[in-house]
Amino acid sequence: MFPRFHCSSHALRPGLWSWLAAVWLAVAAAGLAVLWAYDNAPGESATAPTRWPAATALARSHNGATLVLLAHPQCSCTRASLAELAETLARATVQPKTYVLFLKPDGFSDDWAKSDLWRTAAAIPGVTVVRDDDGVEARRFGVSTSGQTLLYDEAGTLRFSGGITGARAHQGDNDGRRAIVDLLNRGTAQRATTNVFGCALFNSRM
Amino acid sequence: MGVDETQMNAEQIAIPGVKSARERASELFAAARRDIYRQTDRLFAALMVLQWIGGILFALWVSPLAWAGTASSTHLHVWAAVLLGGVISLFPAALAALRPGLPSTRYTIAIAQMLMGALLIHLTGGRIETHFHVFGSLAFLACYRDWRVLVPATVVVALDHMLRGVFWPQSVYGVLVASQWRWVEHAAWVIFEDIILLFAIRQSVVEMQETADRTAALEHEVRTRQQAEMDARNSQARNDAILDVALDCVILMDQTGRIVQFNPAAEQTFGYTSREAVGLHLSELIIPSHQPETDRGSLARFLETGDASVMNARLELTAVRKNGEAFPVEVAIAPISADGSAMIAGYMRDITERRSNEAELAAYTRDLEVAHETQRENSEQLAALVAQLRLTQRRAEDATRAKSDFLASMSHELRTPLNAIILYSELLQEQAEDEGEQRAESIADLQKIQSAGKHLLELINGILDLSKIEAGKMALSRDSFDVQEMIEELLDTVGPLVRKNNNVLSVNYGDHLGMMHSDLMKTRQILLNLLSNAGKFTRNGEVTVSVVRRTENGAALVEFTVTDTGVGMTEAQSQKVFDAFTQADVTTTRKYGGTGLGLALVSRFCDLMHGSVSVVSRPGVGSRFTVRLPLEAAVVDVPETVAVG
Repeated sequence: MFPRFHCSSHALRPGLWSWLAAVWLAVAAAGLAVLWAYDNAPGESATAPTRWPAATALARSHNGATLVLLAHPQCSCTRASLAELAETLARATVQPKTYVLFLKPDGFSDDWAKSDLWRTAAAIPGVTVVRDDDGVEARRFGVSTSGQTLLYDEAGTLRFSGGITGARAHQGDNDGRRAIVDLLNRGTAQRATTNVFGCALFNSRM
Repeated sequence: MGVDETQMNAEQIAIPGVKSARERASELFAAARRDIYRQTDRLFAALMVLQWIGGILFALWVSPLAWAGTASSTHLHVWAAVLLGGVISLFPAALAALRPGLPSTRYTIAIAQMLMGALLIHLTGGRIETHFHVFGSLAFLACYRDWRVLVPATVVVALDHMLRGVFWPQSVYGVLVASQWRWVEHAAWVIFEDIILLFAIRQSVVEMQETADRTAALEHEVRTRQQAEMDARNSQARNDAILDVALDCVILMDQTGRIVQFNPAAEQTFGYTSREAVGLHLSELIIPSHQPETDRGSLARFLETGDASVMNARLELTAVRKNGEAFPVEVAIAPISADGSAMIAGYMRDITERRSNEAELAAYTRDLEVAHETQRENSEQLAALVAQLRLTQRRAEDATRAKSDFLASMSHELRTPLNAIILYSELLQEQAEDEGEQRAESIADLQKIQSAGKHLLELINGILDLSKIEAGKMALSRDSFDVQEMIEELLDTVGPLVRKNNNVLSVNYGDHLGMMHSDLMKTRQILLNLLSNAGKFTRNGEVTVSVVRRTENGAALVEFTVTDTGVGMTEAQSQKVFDAFTQADVTTTRKYGGTGLGLALVSRFCDLMHGSVSVVSRPGVGSRFTVRLPLEAAVVDVPETVAVG
């Protein structure tokens, strides 16, 4: 299965192997550090309106909270956000009216927007998946990073704005999810904002 | 035989040059561990490559691109999977290929496996399922059956959680603010698994050791049996070889006396081949049945009746060859044990020649006894003869002593009237000379009388001295005199005689001659005789006297050397020149005169004074006489009853 060598290993001095191992370990640690830094680098936070924007085409719930998650349909990091959204809704005793808006830039096909993330979001019970043509709704909500989640109460007041993952594409417990669940279940939360980890919704050509 | 018992026996049996079972077990155990290390290294090398490829495929599938609006680029996870995954995987894989089995290799693999786990967890978005990679990896590392590999693996996991807990707590703990010790909780679960794995590893190692012990014990037992079989074969071969080359007949029998082995010497002695003899009864084979019972002796009785009185005893019997010839044999019977069964060994020797030799020896012995008796009688006769000879010798000595006494007294009696003759001839010669030429004829006659008288006196003096010496009556006096003065006085006396033949007389003195304490008269007589001879046998030549003082063997002595350029002597003449009444040859006496006693007296005086004299001479060249006398001479006492002269 694996070739056996018997001679060449003794050609190198033992000290050289120690040096090689030290260099290897340093390079690996540095690579992991870069990866860690990248995964924990938050995207641009939203400047969401504190009141439900009047211009939005989305219908707000008047007898409960409304949760809006804006997503880039090709962003792999957003898969973790959708998983956390499903976890959040599963833990919430009071279900909010939930929208997941997928960006569809001009010039891109509908299939581009309706990616597997679309289908994943659509499979979450209680979630309404909406196509956000050219990011109009994202701009109305002041959102520029995929995974940004906004929670408005029944009065249309913004109660939470942030990401619901602990790091880029990282599933698991996080303060954002915990805050939304607390707001939905108990009406209060320790945090109203968190960092959002995901792809940028817009670029200079949009 | 149980394993424990086998193992115990293997420990007790030590074969020279073969490792003990314990050493062998250690060797097997070490080899098994080495194999496990290498095999697990190769498995991990393969796993590393598979994980690397899997990580790349997973990254390409899950997060191929990173997006920003409408723009996309290769996701960092893809690069991480390719590059970082490659770095993490390939180095330990290379170590496993190039340095399998080494501790550093498996420690590196343990670290790499945990780093790969961290990478995969990242690539999968921190899914809780991927964390099982950590526990699975620890279990896989336990395949090394070396608990030490769990240490670096656990440290890597703990460091991963600790560092991320410090810098990015939400990514690992799900909260933005976490306790700084929460990584300990995560590490504790890993250690928990480590503890379980430690037990498993320990049990596995114990089983490996037991397997090695059992294998070593079995190997040792097999080796012991093989060695025993080889020893038995070698022993048999040695015995066969010994029997083959034995000079005596060796016949092995079973307890009934039936022959089971018949060696070549027996074949040659009795005339039967081994094939013919084996299976037959010994008494039937070599002891004729027609002989009376009394003649068949103890061996037959033993073989037929089991009478053990012949065991370990030597018997002399009469045996028969295949051709019917009877001959004497010496037999020894001894019981032996072979292959666990009792057997009888018969050793037989044809003693025909020995018997013959013994008869000859007896004859020789008788002859010797007769010769010895004869010799004893001869010895007695010889002893009687010796006693007779001793008696005769004593009588001869007495006669010699009487002769010497007689000569001494006779010489004295002869010398007294001879001196009177000489003196009166001198007086007559002086008177004749006073009376003038008219008595010239009488003068010549008187000179002849005087010369003959002096010669006769000289002869008588010499005989007298020799007789004294032989009779042991010559005494030595002890005088103190200056050597050089003695020589000067002597030369004054003998100088005219030496120069008479137109010779040149010279003398050489060595340094520090000093005083000599010896018999002055005899010393003078020795030198006088030598110088007289030199002057007599040298004409128109040179006579030299040399005197030196020497030390030999711690004793001081004076060496006198008289050298002449006279007629010299041959080797044969030189050898007898010191004998009495002897000159070089008969013509010498006629030509030069002399009594032939001068040098004999020199030799006797030297002996008497514990000195020596020697001569070196060549005919026609000359002679050199060397006399060595002790500086301090011993005094020789002479019985007072003897009065000579």
